Amino acid sequence: MNALSPSTLLVLVPLLPLVGAILTVALGRVLGARAHLPAVAGIAAAFVVAVMLLFGMAREVGVGTTGHDHAAKPVEMVTTLWEWAVVGDAAAAGDAGSAAQLFSIPVALRLDPLTATLLVIITGVGLLVAIYSIGYMHGDPGYPRFFALVSAFVFSMSMLVAASNFLLVYVFWEAVGACSYLLIGFWFTKPEAAKAAKKAFLVNRIGDFGLAVATFLLWMTYGTLNFHDTTLADGTLMPGILGATRLADASAYVGGAVGTAICLLFLLAACGKSAQLPLHVWLPDAMEGPTPASSLIHAATMVTAGIYLVARTAPLFEACPGALTLVSIVGATTALVAALIGTVQNDLKRVLAYSTISQLGYMFASLGTGTLLGFTAAIFHLVTHAFFKALLFMGAGSVMHSMGGVIDMRRFGGLRRIMPITAATFLVGSLALAGVAPFAGFFSKDEILASLHSRGWPDAHGEHLEAAPAGGHANAAATFHLAFHTASVTPDAAQLAGGARGSALDALNTPATWRILFWMSLVTAALTAFYTFRAVFMTFTGPTRVPEEAGHHAHESPPSMTIPLVILAALSAVSGWWLFSTHSLASFLASTPSFTAPSVASTATPPAFHWDLAIQGTLAAAIGIVVAALGHLGRRSDGPQMERFLGPLETLFANRFFFDQIYSALIVKPLELIATLAALIDRRVIDGLVDAIARVPAGLGTVVRHLQSGLMQRYALAGVIGTLLIVLALVARAMG
Amino acid sequence: MNVTSLETFSLVAPEIVLVLAALVAYLGGAFAGLRFGWLVATAGIVAAMSVTRGQAADAAFSAGIAIDPFSTYIRWTVLALGLLLCLVQSGDLFAAAVSRGPGLHRGGTCEEAGTFLLLLAGLSLVGVAGDLVLLFAGLELVSIPTYILLGLKRTDARGQEASLKYFFLSLVASAIFLYALVCLYGIGGSTDLGAIAARLKAESTGRTAQALLPLAIGLGVVGAAFRLAAVPMHFYAPDVYEGTSPGNAALLSTLPKVAGIVVLARLLAVVGPAASPDLLWRIVVVLAAVTMTVGNVMALWQSNLRRLLACSSIAHAGYLLVGIAAAAAPSISPRLLTTGGLAATLFYLATYAIATIGVFGAIAYLGHRWPEWTSGSGPRPPREEITLVDDLDGLSGTNPVAAFAIAVFLLSLAGIPPLPGFWGKLALAISALEVDGTAAIELGSRRAWFVGLAVLLVLNAAIAAAYYLRIIAAMYFKTTKRGVQADGGLSAGVAMLVCLVLVGLVTIRPRNLLSAASRAGESLVPHAAAPSAGVSETTNMNMAASR
Repeated sequence: MNALSPSTLLVLVPLLPLVGAILTVALGRVLGARAHLPAVAGIAAAFVVAVMLLFGMAREVGVGTTGHDHAAKPVEMVTTLWEWAVVGDAAAAGDAGSAAQLFSIPVALRLDPLTATLLVIITGVGLLVAIYSIGYMHGDPGYPRFFALVSAFVFSMSMLVAASNFLLVYVFWEAVGACSYLLIGFWFTKPEAAKAAKKAFLVNRIGDFGLAVATFLLWMTYGTLNFHDTTLADGTLMPGILGATRLADASAYVGGAVGTAICLLFLLAACGKSAQLPLHVWLPDAMEGPTPASSLIHAATMVTAGIYLVARTAPLFEACPGALTLVSIVGATTALVAALIGTVQNDLKRVLAYSTISQLGYMFASLGTGTLLGFTAAIFHLVTHAFFKALLFMGAGSVMHSMGGVIDMRRFGGLRRIMPITAATFLVGSLALAGVAPFAGFFSKDEILASLHSRGWPDAHGEHLEAAPAGGHANAAATFHLAFHTASVTPDAAQLAGGARGSALDALNTPATWRILFWMSLVTAALTAFYTFRAVFMTFTGPTRVPEEAGHHAHESPPSMTIPLVILAALSAVSGWWLFSTHSLASFLASTPSFTAPSVASTATPPAFHWDLAIQGTLAAAIGIVVAALGHLGRRSDGPQMERFLGPLETLFANRFFFDQIYSALIVKPLELIATLAALIDRRVIDGLVDAIARVPAGLGTVVRHLQSGLMQRYALAGVIGTLLIVLALVARAMG
Repeated sequence: MNVTSLETFSLVAPEIVLVLAALVAYLGGAFAGLRFGWLVATAGIVAAMSVTRGQAADAAFSAGIAIDPFSTYIRWTVLALGLLLCLVQSGDLFAAAVSRGPGLHRGGTCEEAGTFLLLLAGLSLVGVAGDLVLLFAGLELVSIPTYILLGLKRTDARGQEASLKYFFLSLVASAIFLYALVCLYGIGGSTDLGAIAARLKAESTGRTAQALLPLAIGLGVVGAAFRLAAVPMHFYAPDVYEGTSPGNAALLSTLPKVAGIVVLARLLAVVGPAASPDLLWRIVVVLAAVTMTVGNVMALWQSNLRRLLACSSIAHAGYLLVGIAAAAAPSISPRLLTTGGLAATLFYLATYAIATIGVFGAIAYLGHRWPEWTSGSGPRPPREEITLVDDLDGLSGTNPVAAFAIAVFLLSLAGIPPLPGFWGKLALAISALEVDGTAAIELGSRRAWFVGLAVLLVLNAAIAAAYYLRIIAAMYFKTTKRGVQADGGLSAGVAMLVCLVLVGLVTIRPRNLLSAASRAGESLVPHAAAPSAGVSETTNMNMAASR
């Protein structure tokens, strides 16, 4: 009984992949071509456990029994494995009179609806990717290394979403970054791969810096880094940052300058990890890694860590409306820019990479609305996106596998005859991505648009809601939302923050801003449909052509690759409708402690299907698909392209808005100049000094060494002389 | 105090078990095979452990035997290190029995195992000794088996030279230490440590007794310095380590240090901090500063692996003295982070011993390497024992596990976070900074001395990193054509892995070991928790009374 308690199960989710990784490393050479076994078994077991946890959590929350519940109770379970680092002991801290001075980092895991959902996604997609890789990576010299890394990634990512402490979050934030770095540079002998890995790492460091400083500020402001409430040795309660005590109190979160700084630093971290403007440049290059890794890490899971972070810290953001607005602005802008770039890419994987950036932007736009609908919609989209984007990447991988490593869409075409399963599943994924009903993306995108719409047209939205059967009082919450923000921070808290109320960013928080963001998202939807179907038409329709690299054996991929494709295609097709119609995910997530904060929970709206928005979204998708069909359906993919219509804009898009060039000119080149100067000074001036200092111990060593004559008599004599000196000194001192 | 003699024996039951096991090994050696002795030794240590476990850890004093958290901590340290050393030593011997290399000794393992057990029994007795005579007897029971082990292990000229050097210099140190004991007896009129402490505190103590105190302190510190390999009795270490086997070097760099720390801690409990505070801490601060600096700068130039580690062990003796010095200076600052200098030293001792035994275990496990040889230049020369840093070139390629383990141990010794050595150095530095922690730093004040010591500790750690990293660089960044054999026996390899696991455990949870060390330190030298001298006075009085 105890062996299967929820806390044991929770520990097992990260533990099993870790064991798999260790076994793969240890036995890699012995297992050879079967090196995938420990990793696949570990992740599969972790998936089973995660599903058990999800159902257990669902029972706890009571999904389906209460229907839509305005007063969702926070549900969480925290397991503290051990105290990792403790500075000072509780007794001493008690003496000093301030419990907050105790610095303690418990290794604590948590389970709540958000974590349970993400654990299932991480292990589930991880499992399918691992199975797919058995076929895809077959015969690679680094076969065991690949599986060890994937396992290690699943471990790190599950720890990241299960950690109940900001320092642990930081540790595993770095750990997933390290796994990502190693997987991008998996073929490290390829210069582009090594370069891409380095770029990803360096760009991510900027975001990591944000997270580190945010963690310091949290410690300074709140005196703890724990999410949950803890009881100290002397029985006093230490409220965690996201614990029940603090969540219940609307004024417990610091706004003003400090609060905004924390949120903006979180946003910086999220931008790095989730590839948002202006730190998005690493993700397209990350496609140099093996395609399954791109699918798992750079599409379905790791890049959503930023979404997770913002969602998790929702109450902190609620206290800083300006920061929240900026989240949406960054998200919507990224979504639009990435979609524009995506329209002119010819590398299939890069199309998908920009699409990922764009879809992540959608999620951020949704998070930034600060409503319960926005948060749950972002997670909903995260889930459906994990399915269809993993599917599309694995489909692209299947194409690449079959085309002998060629991924340039201009060099092949009409592949639906050669690889029917891949073509069919890719089409399903594309329909989901483009947001065509009733595929998954349609529903999640609809909710995101609805959340943006509710901020842009609060009044219209309220009327719209009133028309809905259970509208009731909820519209008040929606319209009241802005007012609430200004009231949510008491003057005390503001003074604590040491700054004036609010920040300049708050000025952005107007309905006009939200309307612009809404229209940007709608345009993005059309662009998404366009580039997705452009890729589908270029790759799978038209006359059948294969590049010479594929040889004569261009064929459908093996079952280990196609079965995961089919499973994901099924999920991409039905998961959206299922999760939306039962409203299970949203009501489940509403019990996540972070979303039960009054500032979030008060924005709850009854579940509704927004016909007007659905029609607008579908129209946008239809326009995109039709334009793509006009341009590419049935034509040779190496024919004339967009440049005819776009003119100079094409140059702008194809060069990705010149981000890389601008960074090179503004940051890299000046830094290189400074580095050259610094190196010169270092070699000439500092090294000289250091060498001089280093000669002191070395010279001393030479002197001391000569005392080491090897003659015992001298040793004894030296010892006796030393003794005499000591005794004489002591006696002299004692005498006065 | 009315304890019957039988109960007195029960207090030293673990030591008795060790001696009995030694007898079994000696006698059984005449009948059984090569490795039998070390099996008996292992079993004996495990039996002694279980006896220790059954014993109550609360303070019991009888006939000069003190069973308190301090002696229990020392006992566990001794037995645990003994078990690890058993693995290193027996692996080493197995290699000696099968290899054809020159200068290697074969057989005789049962005698060695028995002698080793006696050594452990002696060391454990030192830990529980509450009486001058028992303390000295215990120390000699450590020294004499050490001479024998050094002599048995190597029959070549270098080995004999090492053995002789150690023998004579140890005699000098023992003689000096005996003078210290005589002085203490002269002060106290009793061989019982508690009685001496009480006498020192009493108002009626005569001027003669007080005049003997500097002599007792000076000579006692020097006696301990030899065991620790600290200045001015450090000269023997490089020569002896170089001449002996890795297993013996592991032994020499750990067990005598335990004895040295016990001697200093007992001395501290008797004469300081209340009696004559200024004398003890000042001399220990000076010795700590000189010792760590001398050890580290000497190590910088060594190319011989064992000599290098000998120098590093001198430096670590210096670090260990930092905590003793801090404990000797009664702190008047409110307690901040650590639980005292003695606790820091005891903790550091354990972390140092694990890493050191790990390194020597790894070297013992690696055993030999092929010399440079190309076919056609005559017959292949015999394998040579690993002696130089260069012999480890490219080890990460030929034996990645050993290379990784050695790297971890060396990084821990260098004090790189978050390895145990870092926690240890942190505890030591904090204990030094805590002395008069609230006072201003004025030239010549006690606070200035200790701040200077802490700074020197950190500087020394930086110097030490240079030569530790040199070894790691050799293993990871150099290549070699000469393969390393890993023929030193499996058990030494097992010892290496066990040490690696221990290092990992302490890395993750330093708290357990630290709290055990702080309990032990607290029981012997109560940390000055209260600013007023009156409280610490009463604590000491209670301690004296209970003896």
